[in-house]
Amino acid sequence: MRIAFGGYRAGFWWYMAAGLALLLAFAGIGLFRGSVPLDGRDVLAVLARHLLPGEHGPADPRVDAIVWSLRAPRVVVAAMVGGCLALAGAQMQGLFRNPLASPGIVGTSTGAATGAVFALTFGLAGGFLLAAPLFAVGGALLSLLIVTRIATRDGYTPVTTLLLAGVALNALLAAVNSWLIARSWEQYEAARRIAYWMMGGVTDRGWVHAGMLLPGMVIGCAIAVWFARDLDLLLEGEEVAASLGVDIERAKRAVLWSAAILTGSAVAVSGVVGFVGLVVPHLVRLLLGPVHRRLLPAAFLTGAWFVVGADLLARTVAAPQEVFLGVVTAFVGAPFFLFLLVRHEGEVAVSR
Amino acid sequence: MTAAPAVAAAPRLELVGGGVERRGRWLLRGVDLVVDPATLISVVGPNGAGKSTLLRLLSGAWRLTEGRALLGGFDLAALPRRQAARRVAYVPQTVRPTFEFTVREFVTLGRYPHESRLFGTRSADREWIDRCLEDTDVLALAERRVTTLSGGELQRVLMARCLATEAEVLLLDEPTSNLDLAHGLDLLGLARNLVDEGRSVVLVLHDLNAAARFADRVAVLDAGALVAEGPPADVLNPDLLRRVFRVLAVPLAGSAAPVFDFEPLR
Repeated sequence: MRIAFGGYRAGFWWYMAAGLALLLAFAGIGLFRGSVPLDGRDVLAVLARHLLPGEHGPADPRVDAIVWSLRAPRVVVAAMVGGCLALAGAQMQGLFRNPLASPGIVGTSTGAATGAVFALTFGLAGGFLLAAPLFAVGGALLSLLIVTRIATRDGYTPVTTLLLAGVALNALLAAVNSWLIARSWEQYEAARRIAYWMMGGVTDRGWVHAGMLLPGMVIGCAIAVWFARDLDLLLEGEEVAASLGVDIERAKRAVLWSAAILTGSAVAVSGVVGFVGLVVPHLVRLLLGPVHRRLLPAAFLTGAWFVVGADLLARTVAAPQEVFLGVVTAFVGAPFFLFLLVRHEGEVAVSR
Repeated sequence: MTAAPAVAAAPRLELVGGGVERRGRWLLRGVDLVVDPATLISVVGPNGAGKSTLLRLLSGAWRLTEGRALLGGFDLAALPRRQAARRVAYVPQTVRPTFEFTVREFVTLGRYPHESRLFGTRSADREWIDRCLEDTDVLALAERRVTTLSGGELQRVLMARCLATEAEVLLLDEPTSNLDLAHGLDLLGLARNLVDEGRSVVLVLHDLNAAARFADRVAVLDAGALVAEGPPADVLNPDLLRRVFRVLAVPLAGSAAPVFDFEPLR
């Protein structure tokens, strides 16, 4: 399938500058607005106290708690989750040469969910705060290991086999998740936590969650950047990539592990936030073209501001009630995607 | 078209007892072929004879089931891909690109074996890319999307990407199939110039007469085996053409090269 927009291509640095401005704007609104109205000067004082060096006067402990312990980590976690998911999505779309691939296409996000649900149903999460996230990352990596093992013959892993094995594993793990949830129905508390977690969101996420996400994000991003150029060549097919000097099996493995680490870490702290990893990279590719050295950082930044903005909507649109973040990303992302398709109908050629 | 600046003499590329099996079928077997420096070899044969497979084996893109591919005496399979790609370039049969690279971005993919992983292309790379675009007559298309090119334009862009690698051995699979007469002859002329400067070129051609005119040697494949190899005048004769291609070949007078008029066997 090919979706081709007309001659327009946005300048990379302009795009990044605009994205950074949006991210800062959304983050700013997220810090100053919330269900508890606060005086702007108090918020500024709290931020200055934590971010600027030097001596500061005493801050109102209530404002400090709301801004620095509730709102700030939430904004930061939202940005990190959005960036990781969009980056992993861009990688998977490149690797599978398919603009419809999502970050968890090889079973990693469902695997992460299985890990977390397992920890929640068996009560491990109650005793140990990090149990669910750690099980989630473990589940993602284990899923990838299973899928690659199944799809590899004589050291060669064809991407189509990988894709099919991923689809099968996704279905299997979704069934396991349903079974685990049904099993826990009697225990109201566990069932509620699982349901909350499955819908995806960054409510009540603290600095500890940002800290948990950080190593996975750094490692995943580093691998992604190191293998960005290989993805450009893989777009042209493995044979061409190999003839131009790409060690294709190594590149494929690196990209898969990088995306699994990013997806697993994101799902571990925020549950399943849909649509970001699918729409964002696709949109960025339409605007900036398929060269991954530009596409990957731009997708990361776009995912970050998109999710921070979506979370802003999630907590304000029906305040004081909160809407689930995953619901908002789908509600905003899907129509926007359709709007793009319809708006550019004259210039969009969908072939094959 | 002007040719690129002279390069160091091409390394010798050879296939020793090369064979490849896929899904229980031998696509090619027992092939011994030497690509000497500064030689233009044309690979000919009927459909399904294994011509494309031969190029893939020579490029190192496919692993051999038996035999060895040697580049300058070293096992091609043991050479790091990047290093091999700097010396041997391969252009597969034209496939419509699906991703919207501009022509310049697309040709720059050919710089991969020379690029630094973190910093990408340098200005020297960019000058060389301009050179390659110019040599293949596509500089005017540089900012166009590869998805919007005609078959002939795409063919020349693929050639530019191949030159961008600075490889000394070029393997071209049916490089003239989408080109009109003039551009086809231009491309063969470019290949000839590259060879005269010291590169080696192996190309798959369907036009036997073009093969006879432009190539130093002709390799004839039939049903996965190399049935003849040598200078066109020694190899191409009515008897062989009847056997391999099942056509009646009538020699045309007045040409130094062994060219023919072809008629179906009845």
